[in-house]
Amino acid sequence: MSTDQRERTRIPPAAASPPQPEASPDAAPTSRRRRTERFHHRLFVTPSVLVLLVLALYPLLFIAAAALSRSSLGQPFQEFTGLQNLRAAAGDPAVQDSMLLGTSYGLGVAAVSTVLGTATAVALWRSVSSGAVLRTLLLLPMIVPPVIVGILFSFIFSPSGGLIDTLLRQFTSFSGSFAVLSDPSWAIIGVAVADVWEWTPLVVLLVFTALLGQDPEILEAAQLDGAQPVQQFLHVTLPTIAGTVAAAFLIRLILAFKVFDLVYVMTSGGPGSSTQVPAYLIWRAALQNFDVGMAAAITLVLAVVVTLVTLPIFYLTKRLRDD
Amino acid sequence: MIETAEAPSSRMIEGAAPPAAPSDVTKRVRRGVGRHPRGLPGSALSLGWVALVVVVVLVPLGYLVSLSLMTQGQISAGLLFPSDPAWQNWGNAWNSAIPRGITNSLIAAFLGSLLTLALAVPGAWTIVRHRTGGSALSGLILSPWLLPPVVAIIPLLTLLRMLGLINTLPGLTLVYALMNVPVAIWLLDGFIRRIPVEIEEAARLDGAGELQLLRRVVVPVLGPALIAVGVIVVILNYNEFLFATFLTQSEGSQTVPVVLAGMLSERVQDFGRIAASSLLAIIPIFTIAVLLQRHLVEGLTTGAVK
Repeated sequence: MSTDQRERTRIPPAAASPPQPEASPDAAPTSRRRRTERFHHRLFVTPSVLVLLVLALYPLLFIAAAALSRSSLGQPFQEFTGLQNLRAAAGDPAVQDSMLLGTSYGLGVAAVSTVLGTATAVALWRSVSSGAVLRTLLLLPMIVPPVIVGILFSFIFSPSGGLIDTLLRQFTSFSGSFAVLSDPSWAIIGVAVADVWEWTPLVVLLVFTALLGQDPEILEAAQLDGAQPVQQFLHVTLPTIAGTVAAAFLIRLILAFKVFDLVYVMTSGGPGSSTQVPAYLIWRAALQNFDVGMAAAITLVLAVVVTLVTLPIFYLTKRLRDD
Repeated sequence: MIETAEAPSSRMIEGAAPPAAPSDVTKRVRRGVGRHPRGLPGSALSLGWVALVVVVVLVPLGYLVSLSLMTQGQISAGLLFPSDPAWQNWGNAWNSAIPRGITNSLIAAFLGSLLTLALAVPGAWTIVRHRTGGSALSGLILSPWLLPPVVAIIPLLTLLRMLGLINTLPGLTLVYALMNVPVAIWLLDGFIRRIPVEIEEAARLDGAGELQLLRRVVVPVLGPALIAVGVIVVILNYNEFLFATFLTQSEGSQTVPVVLAGMLSERVQDFGRIAASSLLAIIPIFTIAVLLQRHLVEGLTTGAVK
């Protein structure tokens, strides 16, 4: 961060003051040039700003307006209803359950992915030198479309001829049927397993790169000072990768909060409402019940929940990375 | 000397690298120490763990291949490997809506990605180098990515309906192009910071305007980064399901995840055919990813954690 700051502050003087000899006669052209430069910079960021308007501001205003009115999918903003939708959404036990489910799912999946991913990265770092082949292999789960990951794990968990069912029958005396995805308390675990399978490799990749990038001189110094391998790992390696691990956790948490495809394909929110994560609940309110007002109100509740959960982790990450 | 230096034990290195050793030898020693801490106990455990991870990654994919070659009868009978390969699954998959879905997906993914880059590169460079828009712009740029995309779907649906682009591939491509600009800017950020400012300063002293600077200096230097970020965006687009399922309801414009999800809701499910169709859908994106894997890894690691 600090080097960037320095680099950035170095640009304006270099751009602003041309070589000494021409400085005084060129004063007017220079300021004109600076003006065209500034114009170009504004031009360059225009698409980004437009994207923000279309993807952030416009949906935000739309959702706020929809939340305050009676809105259906075909006819939004029929009449102003004040805080009615919001009160209904915040007080609805189904919404509360969904937020709780989404939060625990997000934190749980992110924690499991981060722990498994970091362990794998460290194991990889200690057993291979560059890991090029293994890195390619690890890319595979991330590249498979989530819909297909969902299909794949539905097959694996299928009680009639699925992988787990078949293995249980062949290697144990188990003879009943174990339908993971139709059991109210196991279904969400089934979805989580698919999610962890798909996205843990991202954590591995990020942490592995951080491990390769640590300063060899510090490690060497620690070795020369007689630090034991375990001490080296705890006091040298771990602090250098802590920021990356925290960032990976944050990315993973955000991805887990967004889970939709897996639930759609694997459980459709069921059995009952046991896998009704927030994204799925909003989708159902808007596109199955056509109650856009309610969907918008749930969205606002979700925005508050996501902010409350991610902000502390965001600041923790920032602090770890700045050290 | 070099050989001893590369041995893993730290005691040997101590002896082999006196303080006055020539610099290139010390460098080699250091690399040896930092990169291969094999003197640590439990290397066997590490190897075992890595092997386990490889199995966990590959078994589900292998199972899918196995399923794609089995009839429903074989699957229900609890077979893990096809006793007699049912190639007709692949034939059925090929003669369904899947190939058209793949074509649609590839078109939307690639065009969307190119447009995303065209929109994102000038913005990313200006935000990093000149801080145009200040901390507000750079702080807000990722905000649309934080919430589930379902949040934006109804507003965007309304917008596309007004533009008459609903149920068309161009409409979906446009949404993909816009949707990934924030992620692309965020990923490009790390790459742009690594460009030496001196190159840009030199071009500026030579009289290059900002537009020329961007086109003749920044874009060529960013080449590999553009491939890296571009391929990540292609994969995100190819795999996208939620927007595709709403914006492409007509059969001709459906992308492959939508076609596959449709197969799941058929009354009689044919695991073998669905598995073969899934694999057909994976093949193009796997090919792209494996061919460009170096760029892909680079993009993910440089972009996501700076």
